Amino acid sequence: MLAQQLVNGLLLGATYALFALGFTLTFGVLRVINLTYGFYFTAGAFIAWYLTRGGTGLALALPAAAIGSGIIAVILDALLLTRLRRARADELASLMVTLGAVLALYAAMTALLGPDIRRLPQSVLGSGALVLGPVRVTQAQLLILGAVTVLAGGLVWLVRFSRLGLGIRAVAENPDAAGLMGIDAARIAVLVSFLSGALAGAGGVLIGLAFNAIQPYMGEQMMLRGFVVVILGGLGDIFGAMLAGLLLGVVEVLTAAYLASGFKEAVAFALLVLVLWTRPAGLFGRPPPRRA
Amino acid sequence: MPPWLSDLLWTYQNVLVALGVNGLLALSMYVVLAAGQLSLGQAAFMGLGAYASALLSLRLHWPFWLVLPLSPVVPVGFALLVGGPTLRLSGIYLAIATIGLGEVLRAVYLNVDALGGALGLSGIPEAAPLWLIYLVLAASLFVLWQVGRSRIGRAMEAMRGDARTALAMGVNVRRYRLATLAASAALAGLAGALSAHATDFIGPSDYGFETAVSILSFALLGGVASPFAPVLGAAVLTLLPEALRGFADLRLVLNGLVIVLAVLFLPRGILPWRMRRSAA
Amino acid sequence: MRRRALMASLAALAAAPGRVARAQEAPIPIGLVAVLSGPNAAYGTAIRAGVELALGQVNAGAARLRLIVEDSGGSKDGAINAARKLIGRDRVAAIIGPTLSNEMFAMGPVTNARGIPTIGTSTTAGGITDIGPFIFRTALPEADVIPVTMKKAASRGVKRVALMYANDDAFSKSGFEVMRTAAAGTGFTILTVESFGSRDTDFSAQLTKIKGLAPDAVGISALVEPVAGVLLQARQLGFGRETLFIGGNGSNSPKLGQIAGTAADGLIVGSPWFIGKQDPLNLAFVAAFRARFGRNPDQFAAQAYDTLGILAAAIARAGNADPARIRNALLKTDRVGVMGPFRFTERRDPASTEGVVVLEMQGGAFRIAG
Repeated sequence: MLAQQLVNGLLLGATYALFALGFTLTFGVLRVINLTYGFYFTAGAFIAWYLTRGGTGLALALPAAAIGSGIIAVILDALLLTRLRRARADELASLMVTLGAVLALYAAMTALLGPDIRRLPQSVLGSGALVLGPVRVTQAQLLILGAVTVLAGGLVWLVRFSRLGLGIRAVAENPDAAGLMGIDAARIAVLVSFLSGALAGAGGVLIGLAFNAIQPYMGEQMMLRGFVVVILGGLGDIFGAMLAGLLLGVVEVLTAAYLASGFKEAVAFALLVLVLWTRPAGLFGRPPPRRA
Repeated sequence: MPPWLSDLLWTYQNVLVALGVNGLLALSMYVVLAAGQLSLGQAAFMGLGAYASALLSLRLHWPFWLVLPLSPVVPVGFALLVGGPTLRLSGIYLAIATIGLGEVLRAVYLNVDALGGALGLSGIPEAAPLWLIYLVLAASLFVLWQVGRSRIGRAMEAMRGDARTALAMGVNVRRYRLATLAASAALAGLAGALSAHATDFIGPSDYGFETAVSILSFALLGGVASPFAPVLGAAVLTLLPEALRGFADLRLVLNGLVIVLAVLFLPRGILPWRMRRSAA
Repeated sequence: MRRRALMASLAALAAAPGRVARAQEAPIPIGLVAVLSGPNAAYGTAIRAGVELALGQVNAGAARLRLIVEDSGGSKDGAINAARKLIGRDRVAAIIGPTLSNEMFAMGPVTNARGIPTIGTSTTAGGITDIGPFIFRTALPEADVIPVTMKKAASRGVKRVALMYANDDAFSKSGFEVMRTAAAGTGFTILTVESFGSRDTDFSAQLTKIKGLAPDAVGISALVEPVAGVLLQARQLGFGRETLFIGGNGSNSPKLGQIAGTAADGLIVGSPWFIGKQDPLNLAFVAAFRARFGRNPDQFAAQAYDTLGILAAAIARAGNADPARIRNALLKTDRVGVMGPFRFTERRDPASTEGVVVLEMQGGAFRIAG
C-alpha cells in the first residue's frame, strides 16, 4: 500500500509541478504575481473540451488548447499589465489588478457556460491502467508525468541555453539594462506571457483529463497550491518548482493516508509557513532575497 | 420610531451591519497597505476574532462588554507569529504567508469538533447592536486619522514609497511593519467579534480566501490616501452586490471589473484627497 | 431579541386587516430564495423550475399567487438579505427556500423571529426545524432516508463498511453523521472514516487506504460533483463491482451519471422521489416539466413542485395572507403529491417515509434497485 501511496503522491505532485511551471516563469522574468494564470488553466481545459467533443483527437486538441490559452494570456497581459509596467507601478498593484480580472473572468465564464462539471470524452485516451505489482497507474497519469518532464526540461533548456533564453534572463535581471543592450524587453514580455499561458493551458487539459473535472473555477482551486509550490521551490526557480511540486504531492498524500485526511490541504500551507520562516528563498534556494 | 422606518431598518439591518463591519475590515486592510505591505490574511484574523469571541460567549457565557475588548488578542498573536518572520522579505511573501494562515485555520475549524466543524457555531447571542458597530468604526477612524497625521503617519508613508529610503531616513521599518500588522489584525478581530454577535451563526467558509479578496478590494477601490477612503470603498462594494442582486452571476463579473478599473485608472482610489499633517 | 419579536407581531397585527382586504383583488405575494448563481446554481435552478411549473398550474385554477424570486448566491449573507428584502419590502406571506442547509441555519432565525412560514425543499441536514416554530421542510431529512439505504445494503450481504465525506459543508457533514449512526444501527462494522474537501479533485490517498482495508461497501456523503470524482478515481484505482458504493442525498442527482458515466454504476442511494414512478400525478408532472423546460426534472425540482402545491393549498385553507394562519394551515397539510402522500409532523418535518425508494446506477442512469 505504501508503494501505491507514494505513486499517488508523485502523480499528484506532478500535476502541481505542471501547474506551477508557467506561474514561476512569469514571476521570475516579469516580476509579477499574475493571478490570471489560473484562468489560462481553465481556458486550456475548456478549449480542449470543445475540440474533443467535436471529434478532434487529443494530439491536436492539446497543442491547440496550449496555443489558444497562450494567446489569451498575451491579450490579458496587454490589457492589464502594460499600463502598470509603463507607470512602474509596484508589484502589489499588478497583483491586485490581476486578482480583480480573474474574479471577473471566472464569474463571466460561469454565467456563460454554467457551473457544471464537464469531462473530456473517454474516447480521447484509453481507460486502461498499467499494473506493476501492487501499483496501478492510468494512462492519463503517465501522460502527465511525461509532459511535466518534457515541459520542465524544455523550459530549463530554453531559459538557460538558448539565445532567446539569454534575452529572457537579461530582462529578468534588469529590464532597463537589457533595453540598453538592444534587447526588446517588450517583445520578451509578450513571449514569456505566451509561454506561461500555453503551459497553463496544457496543464489544464492534462489535469482535467486525469481528474475528470473541468469547470470554470478549476484554476482558482489550483492557484492556492500554485502559491505554495512556487514559494517552496523559490520564486522564479523552474527546477525548484518541479521538485517542490512533487514533494508537496507526496507530503499531502502521506498526510491523508497515515495522519488524517482532513488535514491534507492544511499540511501544504503549514509547510509553506514553516519554509517562509526558516528558508524564505525556497527549499533549494540561494540566500534569501533581502529587499528592505 | 415610525413603523415605516423600523420596517426599513429591519429590511436592511443585515446590510447596515455589513456596512459597518466591512468598514472596519477595510480599515484593517488600510493599516497594512498604508505601510506598504500586503496581507491576504484579514479574513483569517477576522475569523480568529469571531471564533474566539463566540466561544467565550457560548461556552463561558462571558458578557459582551468583556468579550469584545479581548477579541483582538488571538488574531494579534497569530499575526506576530506568521508575520514576524516574513517582514524582512519583499511584500509578496507576507501576502502568501497570510493566505497560508487562512487555509490552515480553515482546516482547523473544519476538523476540530469543539469548533463545530462545517456546521460552524450557532446560537451566538445577538449582543452587538448597530450603534456599537458604528461606534467602534468611528473610534477606529478617529484614532487612525490622528495617527496618520502624526510622525508615525509620515514614517508609514515613507515606507509605502520606498522601504529602503525610509530605512535610510532612520525609520525602524521592521518595527513599524510588525506594529501595523498587529494593529490590522486587532481591527479585523474586532470586526469578527462584532459580526459574529450581530448574526448568531458563524462557519468556516465565512473566513476563506474569497473574503480576504473582498477585503482587499475595499481598500483598493477606496485607496489609502486617508482612512476615510477605504471605508468609502467598502461602502460602495458592499452596496453594489445588493443593488445588482437581480443580475445573479453578472454581479460577480462587475465586482471584479470594478477592481480592475480602479487599479488601472484610479491608482489612488476613488477618494484620493490626502490628510493634512500637523507640523513636525 | 424579545423586543424584535414583539415589534414583528405588532407589525403583523397592523398589517393584517390591510392584507385581508387586498387579498380579494391583488395576488398574494410569496417568496422563493434559491441559489441561482455561483457553484451551486444547478440546485437552485432546478428548484425554481419546479416552483414555477407548479405556480402556473395553481394560478390557472382558483389561486392567485405572485412569486418573487431572490438569488442567495449560495452565501448565508445572501440568503439573509434576500429574506429581509422579501419580508420587509415585498411583504411576502411565506417563503420557500433557501436551498442549502447552511443558508437555512443563517436565514431561518430571521424569518422565524418575524413569524413568516419558511419551507425548505432541499435542506436535509439535522436540526433545521429546531430553528423555530415557523420553519418547515418538505425535504426528507437524511435521517429518514439513509437507514432505508443501509437496510438495502445489508440485504446484499454488506458487513464491513468504510465511510467518506466532504468535511467542509454542513450538508455533507451532517449526512455523514447520519450515515455513521445508520451504519452502526444496521450492525455494520465501520473500518475507517476519511474526509475530503468539496472542491477536491484528488482522492487517491483516501481511496488507496480504503482499498487496503477491503470493505464490502463504501458510504459517501457529499455533493454530487465530488461523489462523481470519487467514483471515477476509485475505478482508476481498481475498485470493482465487489465493493458496493452507498450514496447520501447528494448523490441522488442525474448529474452523477452525466459526470461519472459508467464509473458510477452499482452505486445505491435512497430517494424520496424517482422519475420513473408510474403513478398518474408523477407522469403528468414529468411530462409537463419536459414540455416547459426541455429537460428531465430531478429530485430537487420534484420536491419544489410539491412544496408550492402544499403552500398554495395551505394559503387557500387559511383564507387570507396572514402568515400565522398560513402556518397553522400548513400544519394540517394532508395531500398527495408527486413524492407520495404528504403530512407534516408536529416538528414540521415530513411525516411519512413510505415514498422512499432505493435507486441503483446502471449504465449512467438511476433505476429502482433490485
